[in-house]
Amino acid sequence: MNKEFVIRREAARKFWGVIDPELGVNIVDLGLIYRMYMRDDDTFVVEYTTTTPGCPMRRYLQRKIEEALQSIEEIEEFETKLVFEPEWSVDMIVDGVEFFSVPPPMMSGK
Amino acid sequence: MNMNKTKLLDLFFGILLVTAGIGLLLGLYTGLIRMGLSMPGAFELDAMAHGPLMINGFLATLISLERGAALEKLWSYIAPFSFFLATLLLMTGYAYSGGFFLLLGSLFLVIIMGYLCYLQSVVHHYIMAAGAVTLLIGNVLFIINEPVFELIGWWIAFPLLTIFGERLEMNRIMRPPKKAQHLFAGLIAAWIISLAIIHFHRDLAWLINSLLLIGVAAWLIRFDVARRTIKSREWTRYSAWCLLTGYGWLIIGGILGMIHGLPAAGYIYDALLHIFFVGFVFSMIFAHASIIIPSLTGKLVPWSRYFYLPFFLLHGFLLIRVVGDLLYVTDIRIWGSYGNVAAILLFLGGILFQLTFKRSTPAFSQT
Repeated sequence: MNKEFVIRREAARKFWGVIDPELGVNIVDLGLIYRMYMRDDDTFVVEYTTTTPGCPMRRYLQRKIEEALQSIEEIEEFETKLVFEPEWSVDMIVDGVEFFSVPPPMMSGK
Repeated sequence: MNMNKTKLLDLFFGILLVTAGIGLLLGLYTGLIRMGLSMPGAFELDAMAHGPLMINGFLATLISLERGAALEKLWSYIAPFSFFLATLLLMTGYAYSGGFFLLLGSLFLVIIMGYLCYLQSVVHHYIMAAGAVTLLIGNVLFIINEPVFELIGWWIAFPLLTIFGERLEMNRIMRPPKKAQHLFAGLIAAWIISLAIIHFHRDLAWLINSLLLIGVAAWLIRFDVARRTIKSREWTRYSAWCLLTGYGWLIIGGILGMIHGLPAAGYIYDALLHIFFVGFVFSMIFAHASIIIPSLTGKLVPWSRYFYLPFFLLHGFLLIRVVGDLLYVTDIRIWGSYGNVAAILLFLGGILFQLTFKRSTPAFSQT
């Protein structure tokens, strides 16, 4: 497995544990993580969005995303980018997701 | 983002959050003085500052801080900082410069909301932006010394429209039908127009205004996710109780407004204002605390059933106060107002205690 794949997988697992307190759903199922990729300079880049540009949870989510990335050993450098293209909509939420189901399911999948 | 800039913004943010808290405490304190609390000269503040402090010193500072922080730009902090300066200056007798900063803060809040509308042209942003405009109108009238009873409609509209916009935004997940969304926007547009007409036909406009407000409240009860989440647990359930109770107070306020109109002063006037500001606005603050606090501090508030105590005190004592107002019994309304202050302080104390001494459940913090 190449390094990027391992990091992407690990990052996705970590993000699954980051809950948007406003909706009680993790940011992956909400469709807030748009892209994750390794740049040529070995910086791991995460492009994410918020449910609205004026989302008060922005600072909280950014902090949680950064904490998640910092906790991944394989990552040397990372960058988070808040983007609003494409505009987030409720259609991006994973089908059948249960809102306000906090605390979230355990990451082990049990 | 550059880490130094992030730290600078965090520092700004922390300071301004404290100033919003100071605005709240001063507002509550002057409210008690207004109710007849007697203090030694050094602690005596102008009782008439109660309303302006609650609106600008607390709500405008907090709301502009919350919205401004979402943009994460230095200029977006001008609004809350101006509200803080305005509070400070007005409380120390510098009316002219205080008025200037009040205007500046209101103007920058309009700019923040206008910028959000530019970024995303959606109805809920326009409703919140309308809230910022109503604050600007109210504050302009306040600065030119219009009597508060003439401008109070605009001040009431500011937090109400902000919350209506937020609820519409939140309830996107409920996917309300397009027709229902148009109805909501229409009700609110008509409600805002009726606020303007109050200046010309006070009784008729307030009657229509009250009727429209009942319509808005009924819409929220019908389409808000709260009806579903009241079966949930912890903060989610608590929030639903606060939301639905707040909507209930809007209906009560609407009914009272239809019966009595909006007097220029007196007990009915007092009852109406506190139904909106305590019954609805503070109930919404209680409801959104579990969201507002993480957005402001970066920390989740661990749940405790304790929070039902200030919830019951807030609504119970407001009921007592309103009954006191309607029956013209001063002692009852005084006890009601003391109870309301106690409820708000107990809620804040509970939040601080939980943040300081309790940890979030591990499932919340898997990062």
